[in-house]
Amino acid sequence: MSIVSLHDVTLTYGSGATAFTALRGITLGVAAGEMTLLLGPSGSGKTTLLQVMGCLLKPTSGTLRLAPIGPHDSPYEVSEHRHVDQESLARVRLARHGFVFQHYNLFPTLRAWENVAIALDLKGRRAGMRERALALLARLGLAEKADAFPAQLSGGQKQRVAIARALAGEPKIILADEPTAALDGRTGTGVAAVLQELAHESDAAVVVVSHDPRMLPYADRVLKLEDGVLTGDRRVTDAERARASELAHHSPP
Amino acid sequence: MLRFGRNEWLPGTTLLAWRNLAHDRARFIVTLVGIAFSVVLMGVQMGLLVGFAQTASSLVDHARADLWITAVGTTNVDIAANLGARRRLQALAVPGVADAEEYMVQFAFWKKPAGGNESVILVGFDQATGRGAPWQLVEGSVADLALQGGVIVDRLYAGKLGVTKLGETLEINNRRARVVGFTDGIRTFTQSPYVFTTKANARFFTGFGSDRTTYVLVAAREGADLATLRDALQRRLGDVEVWRTADFSRQTQRYWLVTTGAGSALLLAASLGLVVGIVIVGQTLYASTVDRLPEYATLRAMGAPNRYLYAVILKQAAISAVLGYAAGFAATLAMVAIQSRSNIALVMPWWLALLLALLTAAMCALGAVFSIRRVTRIDPTSVFA
Ligand SMILES: Nc1ncnc2c1ncn2[C@@H]1O[C@H](COP(=O)(O)OP(=O)(O)OP(=O)(O)O)[C@@H](O)[C@H]1O
Ligand SMILES: [Mg+2]
Repeated sequence: MSIVSLHDVTLTYGSGATAFTALRGITLGVAAGEMTLLLGPSGSGKTTLLQVMGCLLKPTSGTLRLAPIGPHDSPYEVSEHRHVDQESLARVRLARHGFVFQHYNLFPTLRAWENVAIALDLKGRRAGMRERALALLARLGLAEKADAFPAQLSGGQKQRVAIARALAGEPKIILADEPTAALDGRTGTGVAAVLQELAHESDAAVVVVSHDPRMLPYADRVLKLEDGVLTGDRRVTDAERARASELAHHSPP
Repeated sequence: MLRFGRNEWLPGTTLLAWRNLAHDRARFIVTLVGIAFSVVLMGVQMGLLVGFAQTASSLVDHARADLWITAVGTTNVDIAANLGARRRLQALAVPGVADAEEYMVQFAFWKKPAGGNESVILVGFDQATGRGAPWQLVEGSVADLALQGGVIVDRLYAGKLGVTKLGETLEINNRRARVVGFTDGIRTFTQSPYVFTTKANARFFTGFGSDRTTYVLVAAREGADLATLRDALQRRLGDVEVWRTADFSRQTQRYWLVTTGAGSALLLAASLGLVVGIVIVGQTLYASTVDRLPEYATLRAMGAPNRYLYAVILKQAAISAVLGYAAGFAATLAMVAIQSRSNIALVMPWWLALLLALLTAAMCALGAVFSIRRVTRIDPTSVFA
């Protein structure tokens, strides 16, 4: 079953003469346990689509549907017919989403583990928060950097702290916008591998926007967006994976 | 809102607030200095106001009378027309009156031992009952006032009056007087120090006839209702004014604080302190919030409710308020201590300290409003830019 599904979603920025329609008629479902790669040229609407899935933007028309998160929960729907305020959208994000940003967006005054723990505090899980934050950092290979401040970390380390923070709330949907864009080759593939592992090991759906061809072998599915229209949706083949990993081995370190 | 328990230092709004402040140390110091300055300004102005009020009515508050009988039209204790002394006997005849005494308050000229004149307020009280006697006597004795021309003055005005020790002689209205005691801390609101003496001596100095008095001080019988007794006295005595002590005290305070403009001047300066505080807190907190907008946007994108963001801002304001108040209050207390040796009263009763704390809290809360309004409008999609 899809964790997130969109039905005929349109998103228009602004209104009147300056209105710009960034997404048109998007119908799509994203499943748990998979890493979906969202490709497309600059300005095609990738970030916009991610923001709609992340409940940061309300669709101008069409419906966004989020699967229930527990046995007693009901599905959540956002559509033009239903009034939802910013505060309830924030509640939805807190309950279901984890975000990873291109520029990491760590809190500079907090240590690595404290950055992760903030996500737990937001969810009101203060008991054992330090242990849980440390465990997440260890899982991402950052056990030794737990007490470092963001300014003392490399780009790849920062992005891994950010991933740990996104994971802390045990989200059902992890959304990452160009998470490797600011990272060099090896660091970037490392982050990509971590994201894929997360998708496979948890019951969360991972959606990654990227221009980066190195991401491809780590994805399970590829979506292509052009001018706000979904023009491609396919599985990544084993042949593609093999070819990409071969390329990776032959390319200079 | 602020609980500094062990758990409180785990990551959360308190830690974010503290780190935000600690990270911008220069700005934090400006905030604290601003709050402290504002607390000192408010504290000193209001402390002076309370001190002035207490000073203005001190004669009334310390006379140990329950009711005051004054001439019609009396507006304060320092300046009053006189009454016929028979008023005392009339008062004594009213049921519920335990005792009634003459009490004289009159301006007089004080000629210093070394020459030069000062204007003083001569206070003549009944030595038998001690009603209206000087308080806070530190040297000499009230009993010695019975000597011809004996007077008691306050140490705070000893310099002004040109006397330094017991036994010194001088002239009041050209009659010989002798210092037989010193009090410490009896101030006057007017420029004329109080000079205590017996009512017999007061008549001697002023030439007041034995049929005249300035006031009649009434002590009520145990358990008498003062409002009822006042009305009874008023009915019986007719052409005078009868006040409960608290009412006369308040009237005297109001008269001096209003007619001199001291009250509104001090309140204006205190309000200015409050405004300065709000502006400084508002300004520095807003600057800090604007600097950290990307972090607030990140929190919002992560699903933080608005009140989470408000808590970070309000806790920054609260931490600043507590530290700024502590510094400002300590400085104010130091000024109170220094001022205690001067003839201007600066006081800090507990309720004023509490009021200052509340004003500081209000100042910081108001200062936080600008920042709160700003983060309310934050756009969480900005983190993807
Ligand atoms: N807030 C906005 N107001 C108006 N137009 C916008 C806004 N945000 C994005 N757009 C427009 O919507 C279109 C899609 O933008 P979006 O950011 O989703 O593209 P993208 O695929 O993420 O591009 P890139 O790869 O460069 O990040 C663009 O043409 C952009 O100019
Ligand atoms: Mg984009």
